[in-house]
Amino acid sequence: MDKNLMMERAEIVVGAVDDLPTIPIIATKVLQLLNNPDVRVEEIADLMLTDQVMTARVMKLLNSPVYKPTQEISSLKRALVYLGLRHIRELALTTSVIHAFDTTTGALELNAFWEHSFGVGMVSKIIAKKIGFLDSEKAYISGILHDLGEVFLSSFLREPFMKVLEYVETHSVKLVDAEEELLGTTHCEIGLSMARKWNFPDSYCDVISYHHNPGRAKVDPMLCSIVNLADLFCAVRGLNYGGRVLISFNLCEEEAWGILMHAYPRLAQMDVERFCYELDDAIPDVTALVSSMFATS
Amino acid sequence: MAISDNEFEQLRDFIYNICGMYFHTSKKYFLENRFSRRMEATGTKAFQDYFLLLQSTQGSEELTYLMDEITTNETYFFRNVSQLAAIENKLLPELVEIKKKMGSSTLRIWSAASSSGEEAYTLAMILLEKRSKLLKEWNIEIVGTDINETVIAQANEGIYNAYSVRNIPDAYRDKYIREDNGKFILSPEIKEFVTFNKLNLYEDAKMVFMENFDLIFCANVLIYFDVASKSKVVRHFYNNLQPNGYFFVGQSESLHGVNDKFKTVHFPGCFGYKK
Repeated sequence: MDKNLMMERAEIVVGAVDDLPTIPIIATKVLQLLNNPDVRVEEIADLMLTDQVMTARVMKLLNSPVYKPTQEISSLKRALVYLGLRHIRELALTTSVIHAFDTTTGALELNAFWEHSFGVGMVSKIIAKKIGFLDSEKAYISGILHDLGEVFLSSFLREPFMKVLEYVETHSVKLVDAEEELLGTTHCEIGLSMARKWNFPDSYCDVISYHHNPGRAKVDPMLCSIVNLADLFCAVRGLNYGGRVLISFNLCEEEAWGILMHAYPRLAQMDVERFCYELDDAIPDVTALVSSMFATS
Repeated sequence: MAISDNEFEQLRDFIYNICGMYFHTSKKYFLENRFSRRMEATGTKAFQDYFLLLQSTQGSEELTYLMDEITTNETYFFRNVSQLAAIENKLLPELVEIKKKMGSSTLRIWSAASSSGEEAYTLAMILLEKRSKLLKEWNIEIVGTDINETVIAQANEGIYNAYSVRNIPDAYRDKYIREDNGKFILSPEIKEFVTFNKLNLYEDAKMVFMENFDLIFCANVLIYFDVASKSKVVRHFYNNLQPNGYFFVGQSESLHGVNDKFKTVHFPGCFGYKK
């Protein structure tokens, strides 16, 4: 189906939801404040501290194995200093998105969804570092956000989405293809429509929209390719919340692999086997992180 | 003896680089345990002493002993579950499709370190289940080879203990295994599809005649070979496969850097090497 048509449909579907979750006001203010080049860490900390939930989540994320601080960081100010301003923006964004969808009861099991998302974030970051991609943090965040549209479908199109999940099981097709077939749009367009409403940066929008076909990406094909591969690896190493289709892929036939190889020839030397085994080892970290993030909510 | 995380990683890297086998963090305790036995046997007192011994000129012999300890040589039916699921649900339908187009209706499978036959017979069970539909009127040939004649005799006999059969799903077990006084006897229906022969993987003259396989399995053997032999044997396997055929190694094994002709194809929880 034509991407524009699917996009039109997505805009209508997302537009029709009256109570679309919003990014918390504090997060929006934090993001605005961060745009000011002269902002002081103290100012941001003071603002963030007014949102307990966000503060708690930032602290948890920060003390998770993903960031691996040498010792536990217990004050928000220290945390912000440790992170640097650039990373705070990303943490604020991530924790807000989690918050936005926290209370909804959808068709998907939320923990499994975030495990997949954080898994893809973590793997994206590892791949980015391995190849020397400039901004591995950006890879991490866009990995976390890539399937945003799925939570929307699961929460606001619950019944039709249940049918999609059933269809995936009975027909052995990919989730994204089943969505296109049954809903006439997919989580990619739905996610993009939401990301635009929330004023996400362009490269995150690009990943949300093109993580299944990075060759068509408009802003950042590299980033889309990184997330695409991370998504595939997570799907085969136990972080596949869809879990219903037997996924398989031949790495050297993947478009994303080709795109990255072209830009980063050193990828050819990557020990993919060991990479998979190391991912197996990292999965308990991801599940622990996710369950701790949701423990107090 | 407890070893530190850092020591565990040193040991893991060393074993991976020499043998091509990865030790998952969850196996640390197990590794410590086995490692301690070898330290006792060699009279070394500290981790670093034993680790130095492994890296020394006499180290290769000791490494073989260590690998014997840590690979648990006992095999059993339905051992590598994710590999079997990938074969049953993904590869078989794919292979059947491809072979039909080529006008062939024969599937040839080789268990290249068959030991007492569990792997070969597991595959026979899975394929036999498909005979009513997907593999209707197909010829199925399964070959098991091993260097050790004693295990070949055991394989031909087809009588197993409770440990060997503990992982067989009930549906298969009810159909193909008969219990008699604590012994588990394989049905002749399964045995019919599998033949066992003696073969040394180093013997080039014999290796070249193992031809036209669709699937080849070789688990927990290449880890004992040095890089040159490994790459020679794997080259044979590559040549022994039909186009689009697959080669599988054991759980946690890796062929990275051994052969650049194979394509790595990923499935849930495992990967295979495709020709």
